[in-house]
Amino acid sequence: MLDYIISKYNFWIYVVLMMIGLYAMIGKKNLIKKLIGMNIFQSAMILFYVSIGVKAGATVPILSGHGHGHVHEVIEVAKYLNPLPHVLMLTAIVVSIATTGVALATLILIYRRYNTLEEDEILKIRKDTGV
Amino acid sequence: MKLVALIAVFMTGALLIYGVEDMPRWGDPNSPASSHVSPKYIQEAIEKTATPNMVSAVLADYRGYDTLGETSVIYTAAIACILMLRKKRKGEGE
Amino acid sequence: MAEQFAALIIVVPLISSLLVPVIGWGQKKLCYPWVVAVLVVPLICSLGILNTVLTTGKFSYRLGGWAPPWGIEYAIDHLNAFVLVIVSFISLMVAIHSKKSVEKELSEKTVPFYTLFLLLVTGLLGIVITGDAFNLFVFLEIASLSCYALIAIGEEGAPIAAFNYIIIGTIGACFYLLGVGYLYIATGSLNMADLANILPDLYHSKVILVAFAFFTVGIAIKGGLFPLHTWLPDAYCTAPSAVSSLIAPLMTKVAAYVMIRLMFTVFQPHFSVEIVPVFAILGWLSVFAIFWGGIKALAQTDIKRMLVYVLVAEVGYIVIGVSVANRVGLTGAILHIMNDAVMMTCLFLVVGAILYKTGTREIHQFRHLNKKMPFTMAAFTITALSMCGIPPACGFFSKWYLIQGTIEAGQWVWAAALLCSSLINAVLFFRVIECAYLKPMEPAYAHNAGETHGEILRDEAPFTMLVPIVIMAAGVIFLGIFSGKIISSVIQFAVPASF
Repeated sequence: MLDYIISKYNFWIYVVLMMIGLYAMIGKKNLIKKLIGMNIFQSAMILFYVSIGVKAGATVPILSGHGHGHVHEVIEVAKYLNPLPHVLMLTAIVVSIATTGVALATLILIYRRYNTLEEDEILKIRKDTGV
Repeated sequence: MKLVALIAVFMTGALLIYGVEDMPRWGDPNSPASSHVSPKYIQEAIEKTATPNMVSAVLADYRGYDTLGETSVIYTAAIACILMLRKKRKGEGE
Repeated sequence: MAEQFAALIIVVPLISSLLVPVIGWGQKKLCYPWVVAVLVVPLICSLGILNTVLTTGKFSYRLGGWAPPWGIEYAIDHLNAFVLVIVSFISLMVAIHSKKSVEKELSEKTVPFYTLFLLLVTGLLGIVITGDAFNLFVFLEIASLSCYALIAIGEEGAPIAAFNYIIIGTIGACFYLLGVGYLYIATGSLNMADLANILPDLYHSKVILVAFAFFTVGIAIKGGLFPLHTWLPDAYCTAPSAVSSLIAPLMTKVAAYVMIRLMFTVFQPHFSVEIVPVFAILGWLSVFAIFWGGIKALAQTDIKRMLVYVLVAEVGYIVIGVSVANRVGLTGAILHIMNDAVMMTCLFLVVGAILYKTGTREIHQFRHLNKKMPFTMAAFTITALSMCGIPPACGFFSKWYLIQGTIEAGQWVWAAALLCSSLINAVLFFRVIECAYLKPMEPAYAHNAGETHGEILRDEAPFTMLVPIVIMAAGVIFLGIFSGKIISSVIQFAVPASF
């Protein structure tokens, strides 16, 4: 049992992080906290993907000492990490930054209009002004 | 609201943990993820793309189109911020 | 030639969106003609692609020349060629319509508005054309990000609605990405065709079940399926009218396309039907969506908000067609993707024109609109009849197939829900038509509506708005008349062969 838990501990950690992020996104009233939750959520996703690429005993996927002249040398697959998840996560990191940026811009708009970032206060203001 | 959120979160977590059971061990070099598509990147990257860094080779060559999309995402975000935040300058007609 | 069309359909709007700020820097007024001219290209390309698919069958385009499981490919078959035509045609029509309403509502933001408009169309087309699961996520994010920003610049309350949409939309997109990750960990591939080959051996793996669950929830969030639609009414209703007439018909339909693609191409139908009870759940949720959307729509006095709730119900229609999981039902669902996109676009364009001309969206102020805007209201009436399912308008035919599909599957309650919703639609739209055509002037309201007691002058929408509205209304009739031909030549090939 302990062996089972240890052999997959990357997954447990990412599940916990993801639950924390998801709870902050759905359950919190402060809009900035929701945004932070979104970032935790996306980081958890990135950790998950990167952990897919790990191989025990392998090194970073950069060939050393291979110039153009040495292409016929045999490259052992097991010696290098899987590069694909890293590539996917480079894209996902950029997407997550872009989403955060757009979300912050809308938060600026909201703050300009209501002078607060608490969801219930905004709802109250909207109710009072009758919109 | 908090209760609904907690229920949703725990259902998601339970589902994720349910899926973990059939996953390969962490760092298993023979897992499908490491043995189906990726070996070809590792073996052929230097020959096909002349790049010792396989991540760059995949990023800019094999899956270069994703990277084009990625830069478009950044461009979209930049224009989105301009659209939302730019105020009309004083004296600028139209 | 068709291969070039497949590449151009994404590249042309993407590169053109980079040029919009350059053009707008010099002369703001040139943005509009540029965007309209650019959007003609995807339409031509998509028609070319559809023609090739119809004559030679499905084909693929390798980006950068890398062979599929390693590189990214566009996989084009009947289904996405068909959806591409819908997306590109509707985006062109909305772009033509947008001129006056953008000048009125967003005059100082024309340049970034049109840039994001093109990026949104690029994203939607990219989602439809791509054959790679991760690439779909990238385009989904391009479309979503531009959507968020375009919604946030709407009326009072729009930033809040946009922020909620960002949070919930990101959950949806991340769930999709999580599904892709689970599929990758179990198969090692990201290519949809390759996944479809590998997956049947793994159908009983728990990883695959979880991946499927996350795909379903993620796409349901993006498509606004009950009960995950909570972000949809506010977001679509507060958006500027040019924006809501683009995203309301297209975002939901593209999400429905992704759902069909994942459930019937990436996964085999027998997995989605037999191994997971997902379709029973989705079908019942759609029944709730139809009733809930209809009842909420009845309670609205604002016509745009009413249409948004009708849209929630319409998503339910398509998902019912998918959930019955037989040939007839799926034909109805795919046909309804087209019909509903056309009808919803027409209705939202009409609302945009009315808002532009009269400045109101309250239904009780529509008095004498038939005399003021006869062509617009005629288009509205035609589409309304189509929404109620009166032949020969197109709404009848897709509903016919959907109901046949539910009966074939033995789901009588679902069939009853579809019939009931036709009645609800009839009540809804007759209420609007009654206000516009039949109600005599009441003195109490006369001064509210700002009308004089003299003759009502014709005050039709501007030409750029009227042309797309009339084309869409004509489309509602023509698509109805030719729906048999559309089904026999395109849709029957788009339905997976294993049915």
